[in-house]
Amino acid sequence: MGWQVARSANPHFFKCVPAKVISMGYTQSEYLSVLTHSPAEAVKALAEAILPELGDIKVIVNRTGLVMLPYTDSALGAVFHLGEVLVSEAHVQIGSGAQGYAVCAGRDLVQALAVALLDAALTTGIETARINAFIDAQARAQAESDDLLLRKVEATRVAMETF
Amino acid sequence: MYVAAKGGEEAIQQAEKLYHHLNGEVTREQVEAIRDHLPYLVDRVMGEASLYAPDLAALAIAQSGGDLYEAVLLLRAYRSTQPRIAYAAPVTPDELLTVRRISASFKDIPGGQILGPTLDYSHRVLKMDVLDTLNPPTSLQNGHYHEASEETGLTPADRPAPRAYPAVADWQRAQGLMAASPKHESVDPADIPDVTSDTVLFPAPREHRLQALARADTGGVLALGYASMRGYGLIHPTVNELRLGYAEIMAKHPVTGAQFSAGRARVSQAEVVTSDGSKAGLSIGFAATLGWNEVKIIAASTLDLEMNQPEPHPAHTEEFVMYHTEPVESSGFCIHFKLPHYVTFASSVDNIRKVIATFYSSESKLQPERAEAQS
Repeated sequence: MGWQVARSANPHFFKCVPAKVISMGYTQSEYLSVLTHSPAEAVKALAEAILPELGDIKVIVNRTGLVMLPYTDSALGAVFHLGEVLVSEAHVQIGSGAQGYAVCAGRDLVQALAVALLDAALTTGIETARINAFIDAQARAQAESDDLLLRKVEATRVAMETF
Repeated sequence: MYVAAKGGEEAIQQAEKLYHHLNGEVTREQVEAIRDHLPYLVDRVMGEASLYAPDLAALAIAQSGGDLYEAVLLLRAYRSTQPRIAYAAPVTPDELLTVRRISASFKDIPGGQILGPTLDYSHRVLKMDVLDTLNPPTSLQNGHYHEASEETGLTPADRPAPRAYPAVADWQRAQGLMAASPKHESVDPADIPDVTSDTVLFPAPREHRLQALARADTGGVLALGYASMRGYGLIHPTVNELRLGYAEIMAKHPVTGAQFSAGRARVSQAEVVTSDGSKAGLSIGFAATLGWNEVKIIAASTLDLEMNQPEPHPAHTEEFVMYHTEPVESSGFCIHFKLPHYVTFASSVDNIRKVIATFYSSESKLQPERAEAQS
């Protein structure tokens, strides 16, 4: 099974296959990427705020674990294991029966739980406008952060001369 | 011979307390300061531990008082308690959010040269005034850059740099300077050979070699790589391309199959090339690691090239390099010699006493001169 990862028109996102638009123009791949990159405390606060709307919550998985990161050798093309990344994972089911899932870099189990709850809420259409407003703001902030970093990187472009 | 040692429990407890007393208390603030202000040290520990976890690496550094081998051991020990829950989608270099990309082989490479964060062309002078003032902090949270509250003096360009760059090697291949890259079928990450679970046999599959170099001891690969550079090797390396950047950790939703980024990890990679003057053109070596560690990846990619030679120097064979640059095994074997070896040492002393009694005691009939004459 090969992985297919291609870029979408918005350079901030990796548009992943299958890419299904679920929420106000965001694919699930895109909004999960924004939520996992957002400040943990802000995501937790949003999930806490919509919690009463979600009904009975069943936590299927909430744990820390390792994700192996394969890397491609640009010399001879081999794909090898670069090392593992510590992540927190959450898989939940809300009252409507919808399931939500998240993996976040780091060991913050509550952050993963919060993202998974927001995923379930978006999947089933709960508090969509409120969550999308949050995603919009975070996506904008993240894009601005990357833009600023890359403009600072561009300032280090060098034209080498030989004598 | 190893024997169980008994006793000294009170002394052992006091020794540990003294260790912590002399190192000072470990606090959350201290750990956060290490994570935010010593990122290259944190990167080095994460790379050698083969575990990307900045908070825990900073904790390991603080808890070990900065003893890096101890910190790597702590992180590897923690890693062994965690289940591997998934494999991320393979990262390809042209997907990296690249912040540094240089070449020493060609000055005009496609996409240009970006110095990025580096001290390569800076004066190395202690900033004594720092001792009297506080510097504004900068940090990366979830891989995103956050500007310090005070001005850093850095002037951003009007337009952003590209997020990613084409490979210099591809450009060289197009010019016929390098053999075409072998075709590789897409691979299920779970099927990639893994040194953490496989028996390592030689010649090792390339996947084992590159994984071993990625988690190798920085000082170990530098020592062996530097030996090559000084003339004990068979090649003269030129850095074809060096990159620092952020790799997205692409996870998969178990219900819908959607792939998403769970965060970013700092990674670095280097290619070195050499020419043997043949029609084959340039030969290429490669290495990459978690974290930004330029010394390690340049030395490791040099060793990759050395290991490809038909008859490398004995210290540059695959088996020698892979076995002697493993940080936990080598440091562990080194420090095990300080643990009780009473039985083996007592045996050696017994033998010495027997020799003395046999050849040197006044009652001995076998004097050394006679013993030599007999031998």
